Amino acid sequence: MKGRRAFWLLPLALLPVPLLLNPYQQYVLNTALLYVPVGIGFNLVVGNLGLLAFSNVAYFGLGAYTSGVLMVQIGLPWWLTVIPAALMGGAGGAIASIPALRGVRLFYLAIMTLAFGELMRWTYIRWESLTGGSMGMAVPTATLFGWALDTDRRRFYVFLALVVLIVAITDRLLRSRFGRAFLAIKDNEIAAAAMGIPTDRYIVLAFAWGGAVVGVGGAMLAISVGHLTPVSFDLTELIRQFAIIMVGGLASLAGAIVGAVIITAAPQVFISFPGFDELVFGLLIVLVILFLPRGLASLLARLHPAFVERYYRD
Amino acid sequence: MLALLPQLVVSGTSTGMLYALIALSMTVAYRATTVVNFGHGDMVAAGAYAVFVFGLGFGLPFLIAMTLAIALLFTAGFAAQRLLLQPIVAGPHLSLAMMALAIGYTVRGALRLEWGNETINPLRPYPQDAYLFGNIVVTTDDVVIGGCVLLLLAALFLLFQVTPLGKVIQATFQSQRGAALVGINVPLFHALMWGGGAALGAIGGVMLSLITPLTPDLGQWTLIQGFAAMTLGGFGSLGGAVAGGILLGITEKLLGFYINTVFIEITGYLVPILVLMLRPQGLFGRRAVLRV
Repeated sequence: MKGRRAFWLLPLALLPVPLLLNPYQQYVLNTALLYVPVGIGFNLVVGNLGLLAFSNVAYFGLGAYTSGVLMVQIGLPWWLTVIPAALMGGAGGAIASIPALRGVRLFYLAIMTLAFGELMRWTYIRWESLTGGSMGMAVPTATLFGWALDTDRRRFYVFLALVVLIVAITDRLLRSRFGRAFLAIKDNEIAAAAMGIPTDRYIVLAFAWGGAVVGVGGAMLAISVGHLTPVSFDLTELIRQFAIIMVGGLASLAGAIVGAVIITAAPQVFISFPGFDELVFGLLIVLVILFLPRGLASLLARLHPAFVERYYRD
Repeated sequence: MLALLPQLVVSGTSTGMLYALIALSMTVAYRATTVVNFGHGDMVAAGAYAVFVFGLGFGLPFLIAMTLAIALLFTAGFAAQRLLLQPIVAGPHLSLAMMALAIGYTVRGALRLEWGNETINPLRPYPQDAYLFGNIVVTTDDVVIGGCVLLLLAALFLLFQVTPLGKVIQATFQSQRGAALVGINVPLFHALMWGGGAALGAIGGVMLSLITPLTPDLGQWTLIQGFAAMTLGGFGSLGGAVAGGILLGITEKLLGFYINTVFIEITGYLVPILVLMLRPQGLFGRRAVLRV
């Protein structure tokens, strides 16, 4: 486990990178960064807990719209909206965990959470006074303690800090008794309950922390794109997020990072052919499930033992 | 207000027939393989596009185009099960659900790549007309869709209840190992039922292409409505899928008219949530929800 400390070098190595990038590449890198928490939150429930909850876009949208609406309606600076966005995302996660607590599992749970996500998207379309409806809402320039985050380069450093924080906290969480409880629940929920693990409490916690983390990703999306539309939170987006954890690796933090980078960067190659990214990602997920069930992160784990994550057993 | 009730029920039934057909096609594949096909909506969309291509692109008569579209989707469903799902069938349920999702995603991407920038108008290869029964208006669309679905239902009912194949389906649904032991080729049967489900979905797609404009995202809406009908009727129940579909169609019209038009859009989202919370087995299904 000693090699793990070397992982802190990765964000340090990223610090000078903006000097090498043009604004467009910087924007793509920022997008990849904001999808890291999105993937982590999704992975926590689907990968670590092993529950088929498909409402990730709901938390993403809740975070994005909370941030956007607070900035527009109340005039809060962006940095003050990050916590509310996380709280709203977490609340969304807690709500989505209710059916799981009532014993709904497998595709029943998938269908309910899918419907929840669509209901939220419909809410963004209909609540026009707050969200601007299907035309969307413009998000003002973000500020951090009075410092304007008006370029992608400036936003990059803020995003990087947030992502490092989220990865570090989630890593601690997963290596504590919480992570072990998730693993026990995933392996055999009844046995875990019989061993005295309060399974309900851990399920709510995983959903809520996952939702909160995705909500922060949403707040990052709000200022990165500068314009929020309900289309960004539809089923197609859900599958894109899903591709992140499948291609990157289930129940793996490294997987969420690798997945976020690939799923964000790859479409830029064929951006002028709408639909091609879906085609490629669909095939990519198919190939990963068939030949690399633990995703690309499992290739890293083969390279060096420091990449082996203890959050998952085969 | 109440005078409009019969009219609402009739037009709700007409829409509901379409939901019923989609839910039925999902149930067929689910019954056979116990895997819910999260890519099914896109299969339906692919069927709708296929009939458009064969009919308008190649200029074939509508019935031939429809037959070709159904055959194409049957082959696609069969191949998808054989090549992609069968290798991982022993794996966790999660992978199977994700594989189905990924297949649908690929199909949607292919549709968007080709037709992403255009909306295709409803085909309607028959004259549009409306008939008056008392004070109830019935359109040609209602008659064509209702008639087709009723015919299909009768055929499927016979297939499942009377023929030996129906027994095979029932046997495999109850116990795959038992079915294999008495000599049923379970993998081949699974592939056939996936093909059959996709072919039925294609018929649903053809019906959709008659009355709604086509977009590559058609599959999203289809999937949700199909799930809503399935959960309402009870997962895995064929009669339940039909009853659930029709009930969903009527409910959405009644709520939409008597309470607020927004219910036409969201009934499909609310129904699975409410049903699974309050009565997880649906109207006709068996209880199959884990409790700890």
